[in-house]
Amino acid sequence: MLAETLLVARKDLRVEWRAKIALGQVAPLALLILVVLAFALDANSSLLELGAGGLYWVAVLYGGTLLIQRSFDVETDDGNMDAFRMSAIGAPSLFLGKSLALFVQIGLLELVLGSGIAVLYNVRVADWWLLLVAAAAGTVAFSVCGVLWGAMSAGLRVRATLLPLLLVPVLVPILLAGSRAFETALGVRADAGWTWASLMLVIAAVHTAIGFGAFGFLLEEG
Amino acid sequence: MTSVTHSNAKMTATATTRVLGVLAIAATALMTVLGLLISPADVIQGEAVRMLYIHVPSIWIAYGAFVLTSVSSILFLRGRKRREDRGRHYDRLAGSAAEVGVVFTGITLVTGMLWGKVTWGTYWQWDARLTTTVLLFVTYLGYLALRRLPADPIVRSRRAAVMALISFVNVPIVHYSVDWWRTLHQKASLSVGRRPEITGEMYWTLLYSTLAVTIVAAWLIIHRYRVIRLEELRDEETLAALISSRLDKDDGSN
Amino acid sequence: MSEVATVVTGWGITIFVIATYSIWVVSRGKAIGQELGIGEMEQLDPRKDAGATTDL
Repeated sequence: MLAETLLVARKDLRVEWRAKIALGQVAPLALLILVVLAFALDANSSLLELGAGGLYWVAVLYGGTLLIQRSFDVETDDGNMDAFRMSAIGAPSLFLGKSLALFVQIGLLELVLGSGIAVLYNVRVADWWLLLVAAAAGTVAFSVCGVLWGAMSAGLRVRATLLPLLLVPVLVPILLAGSRAFETALGVRADAGWTWASLMLVIAAVHTAIGFGAFGFLLEEG
Repeated sequence: MTSVTHSNAKMTATATTRVLGVLAIAATALMTVLGLLISPADVIQGEAVRMLYIHVPSIWIAYGAFVLTSVSSILFLRGRKRREDRGRHYDRLAGSAAEVGVVFTGITLVTGMLWGKVTWGTYWQWDARLTTTVLLFVTYLGYLALRRLPADPIVRSRRAAVMALISFVNVPIVHYSVDWWRTLHQKASLSVGRRPEITGEMYWTLLYSTLAVTIVAAWLIIHRYRVIRLEELRDEETLAALISSRLDKDDGSN
Repeated sequence: MSEVATVVTGWGITIFVIATYSIWVVSRGKAIGQELGIGEMEQLDPRKDAGATTDL
């Protein structure tokens, strides 16, 4: 199963590497969002510093949704879902493989966004470990939810508007916990950062388990 | 189509549901009289307490409807291969319950905000219950949007069932995290929304209102279920007509 | 808004919403039924309800 998982992930990443949508389009767009958010807060540097944690996750949500969309568009456009159903690759491996590929892509996006925020919003990191753990847990939750809801809206005509509507409500706890954990990691707020980070780990685990079990239902045809 | 007979009477009504409908109207009328006129005003909240006779039963019904959606979704997923109708009975039940649940969640939000305006002096507070409710509302709006999309009915139903289950699992996670958010940072604001002591006549009015709202919701779910079945019949007939018109094209009979 | 006015607004909105939704459901049922040329449905028995998929 590990081999299958890696196979799927490598396939997705290779497709992505050739098209370079994530780095070429989504990351620059996410950086633009950071600029627009600064407009919204009137470039008030203390506000930006205070809100940096939350604004980071808003930008990740925006860019991540686009990446998720794309991860399934490349499958449905060529009828790949049918190929998967026929192949020997099981639903759990497919789920894990696609999640892994998304994890790498969203992780890269977050790297770009994190650097952007550090420079543009002038933040300093107070607790690197907390930052990394929270970011990793959030990215896992994003990826597995993304694969699950991406499969749910795959192949439907209005998926571009449907996916965010379905995705955001389930990601709310992650966005909330991520914002709070980052505030502590960036030294803006003293309390409870690790509590929030552990909540994120729990949520990520729950969503992974759900996806593992439920993904098969979404692939079944007719 | 064993369950459809030809006559000119009302489409989705039966003798039983007509009785239920009359009962629902009568119960609502009595609820209005009890809630607005007979029950006393609260010592602390004054007249605003009358809003709770709608607000509280509505959220109970909404949660009940979403539980029904989840249970039906499980039964649909389990029965989709064994049952003769491929589990579509449960799928319709899930869909109609979710829609009624969304209506009552909306009512909960509106009456809650109005109640908040007179009691707290503001329509909205970032209180755990309010935030969870509004997210619940949006989640199930998304579920209904998914159900409405043009797609293969069985595939769509299966996706909707999975979504219903995940959403239901997610409700406590959302509630827990939002609750945490508010209690970790703003302990003071929570005491503003203190609930009144509901006893005596107010208690009975609330209990009766719950019964009345349940009857109304049951009527709505049953009728919505029947309309969903009619919609399915129509879609199948349209499809059948389309296929036969293609087949008949050769001999020119259209 | 006074307390009484708020309460009346809340009840009014609720009754309006429920009434509109009920009418919508019933009239939609009627409209589709007429389209299909069928009349009253018999007592709904979920156990036996095979719908139109009996022949599948």
